[in-house]
Amino acid sequence: MLEWFDTVFSYFVGVYATFVLTSYVIMAILAFFEHRKHYTYHDDDYTIDELKKSPYTPGISIVAPAYNEEKTVITNVKSLLSLDYPDFEVVIVNDGSKDKTLELLIENFDLVKVPYAYVEKIKTKPFKGLYKTKSDNPAFKRLTVVDKVNGGTKADASNAGVNVVSNKFFVCTDVDCVLDQYALYRIIWPTMASSRRVIAVSATMRMSNGSIVEEGKMVDARPPHDLIPLFQDLEYTRSFLIGKTALARINALQNVSGGFGMFDREIVIKAGGYDGDSFAEDMDMVARMIRYMCDSGEDYRIVQIPETCCWTEGPPNLKVLNRQRTRWGRGLFQFYGVHRDMVANRNYRRYGALTLTYVFLFELLAPVVEFMGYFTILWFALRGALNYHTIWIAYLGVYVFAQLLTMVIISYDNWVGTSFKRKSDYLWFVMASLLEPIVYHPLNVYFSLRGYWKHIWGTQMVWGNMTRKGVQSAKPVGPRPAGPAPTPAQPVSEENNSNA
Amino acid sequence: MEYYTLSRYAYWKYYILVFYYRLAEFPRPVRVWLIFGSICMLLLIAIVIGNAIRSFAHYRFERLIQHNRQRYYERMKTVVSQARTLEPAEISAILELPKNFKMKERQNRSFVPTLMEVRREMEGYMSPSNWVRLTQALKMPAYFESQILSRSIRKKVQGFKDVADLDANLKEAVASRYLFTKNRKLQMHARLHAARFGTSYPFKVLEDDPNLVFTEEMVVKYHNVLVYRQKNGLSMPNFIRWCNRVPINEELRIFAVNEIRLFNRKEDCAELLTMLENSRDEAFSCAIIRTLGELEYAPAEDEFCRRYLSASFTERQVLAEALGIIGSGKPEILRFMVDDFIQTTDYVTRMVLLRVIHRYGAAGRRAYDKLKAEATPELQPYFAHIECDLIDSRRYA
Repeated sequence: MLEWFDTVFSYFVGVYATFVLTSYVIMAILAFFEHRKHYTYHDDDYTIDELKKSPYTPGISIVAPAYNEEKTVITNVKSLLSLDYPDFEVVIVNDGSKDKTLELLIENFDLVKVPYAYVEKIKTKPFKGLYKTKSDNPAFKRLTVVDKVNGGTKADASNAGVNVVSNKFFVCTDVDCVLDQYALYRIIWPTMASSRRVIAVSATMRMSNGSIVEEGKMVDARPPHDLIPLFQDLEYTRSFLIGKTALARINALQNVSGGFGMFDREIVIKAGGYDGDSFAEDMDMVARMIRYMCDSGEDYRIVQIPETCCWTEGPPNLKVLNRQRTRWGRGLFQFYGVHRDMVANRNYRRYGALTLTYVFLFELLAPVVEFMGYFTILWFALRGALNYHTIWIAYLGVYVFAQLLTMVIISYDNWVGTSFKRKSDYLWFVMASLLEPIVYHPLNVYFSLRGYWKHIWGTQMVWGNMTRKGVQSAKPVGPRPAGPAPTPAQPVSEENNSNA
Repeated sequence: MEYYTLSRYAYWKYYILVFYYRLAEFPRPVRVWLIFGSICMLLLIAIVIGNAIRSFAHYRFERLIQHNRQRYYERMKTVVSQARTLEPAEISAILELPKNFKMKERQNRSFVPTLMEVRREMEGYMSPSNWVRLTQALKMPAYFESQILSRSIRKKVQGFKDVADLDANLKEAVASRYLFTKNRKLQMHARLHAARFGTSYPFKVLEDDPNLVFTEEMVVKYHNVLVYRQKNGLSMPNFIRWCNRVPINEELRIFAVNEIRLFNRKEDCAELLTMLENSRDEAFSCAIIRTLGELEYAPAEDEFCRRYLSASFTERQVLAEALGIIGSGKPEILRFMVDDFIQTTDYVTRMVLLRVIHRYGAAGRRAYDKLKAEATPELQPYFAHIECDLIDSRRYA
């Protein structure tokens, strides 16, 4: 009986590992073709020049929910208002903040409450009012502040923002994200270059921990020098430059990040907006948009662009990482409960037939298989049935493969236009890559399993606090117009941020 | 003992056999993992070396650009700022180019950013003929030609973009090779090049291509090309002919209608009105209505009124906007707008109608006040919204 189990389990692990490694190779190859296409045809300066000159350049709305962000909100809103694009508006949704977020916005941008005819296209917590500037500053005129009752989630606040945006496309971001100066040009271009309807565009995001930011603008993008954010930076880069790029190539992208992604407003409203109950609201939103498009028989595309457009501050320590990854794990489990009918369903095209099946087998189940693997190895070792030669060589093979993948993403990042000024910064990635399989990966397995466990047993879960250390500033920021808000250079700890 | 001198092939064979027999000693799973690990390791080393070489080449190229900029930037500006057309020998003297000046492709490429910078800074002040002669002195036309004729698609595309940016001379025969190529992106760049610099009627390819896909990207680029042509006194296409041509792409027809508006071609309005009467397609109709409205073509009002009640909400919004811009103040137009405001169920249409009524002269203001006085509490926010100067009610969606 034991021998039978040994054989079956060994074969299962062998087949599973082969599939996982093969899928990585296939995705790296698909991403290669996509990056090559981008490298061949795309020219950033040329594109920006063309869009600047044209009266046909479409408008974009930026929706950024804010909850208790008094310490950073002014600098970050100014940073959003100073983006380079001919026609855009910034919609800040004050999600019932308990601190002075709204007061500071009113004071700094000369805002007054206006009688806006609000129509609730997507159901949200009650709308309290809309603020516009009375100042003559043309940049301030782009700003709209929506005040609403706290909904407890970022999804509810985003929905309120979607209800007031006036452009066909809106970018959903967090108020603490640092956007690239030309991010809007880059993210709108795929919608214009495609002959099919583009319903969402995802852009590469990186960690801002360790970078130098001035007045909310990225001055010097650098990899984080702390281990936990560095691992995440590597993980993000790998995910965007290989995983998402490959899936976007076959039009089967499963997720447009909530940190920075652009959506077609009409489809979002028809799909019912963000789900406030979901712990993976961005993935859920994409699934519902695809469901709507497929059910109504319309053609669509979801695009991933390789350029880094946004930097976000990642969890700086294990405690916050644990909370974030547990929530992600729970969100993924919850997602498959809600959208189980789409899995392996050809009606939802490659997204249903391929991506959801893949994510189910190799992302949702992977922590379970890995966890079983650790125990089985221990069990085999105790019984003296472990072939140490094979185990070490297999580990070594997988380890070298992980290093190979890191080198591939460094090449891709270089190819599509790196955001690092110094090539030596990549040595941090190499270092993280050497440690990642031993240190970071087992932790992630544990956090994911914790999320599944909490979902299965229905443990009450709140969105939790996100402790921010703040990013570095090259020089002290100049005098502020008014208000006590500190610069992002100063370490701030965010209290009760339900949107983190 | 005899010694044999092995050939290179035999050496390889020997080592492969040694590797194979060593490998054969291990059990199958170990063999599989060993081969997998070895392949990964070889690829890893190759990628590391490749990255290092590429980084070094990039670094050297950046240095070359900086060097060229330091050496030639001011001299180039001197050349193009001369009012008199300079002789090639004079340009070479100013630039201090050696006799029989020749450059490798890499050196030519390194001049492109500096030339772009000069062009951007001196735009409006420079002598076009000296600019052309400057690029010729640096052998740029020959370089672009070689780029476009090279095998690499990237070089071709980049060549077309650089030619457009630098306004450089390129033989029409070179660009026209790719007007009907299968690669759509390359085809688009070749066509844009032809449209920008062509001297006869370069837009014929658009009319003749039955498989044309006219994306928004092309809309943006072609509009910029048309602005360039108008600025430089080159022939412009006949937009109304594009609208009339039956086999032509629908997006291209809409583009042509919009261009009539953007280039203020009021003489085409009468024909557009006839087209509107026969149009069934909503997007095309909306484009015509917007154009006629913004060009303030008053004879279109009757047709607008005729279409209004059978139109979709989107078309009604465009019609109301157009009627508002024409603003002839006819009481019957105002009446049906007021009626529709009361009856419509679409909130965006309602807002557009209210805004148009509010700005429709004295009669419009009277009608607005009357509507406001009679409005139900649900409709009151619309009035407050319209009256607030801080809200741009045109952007309501």
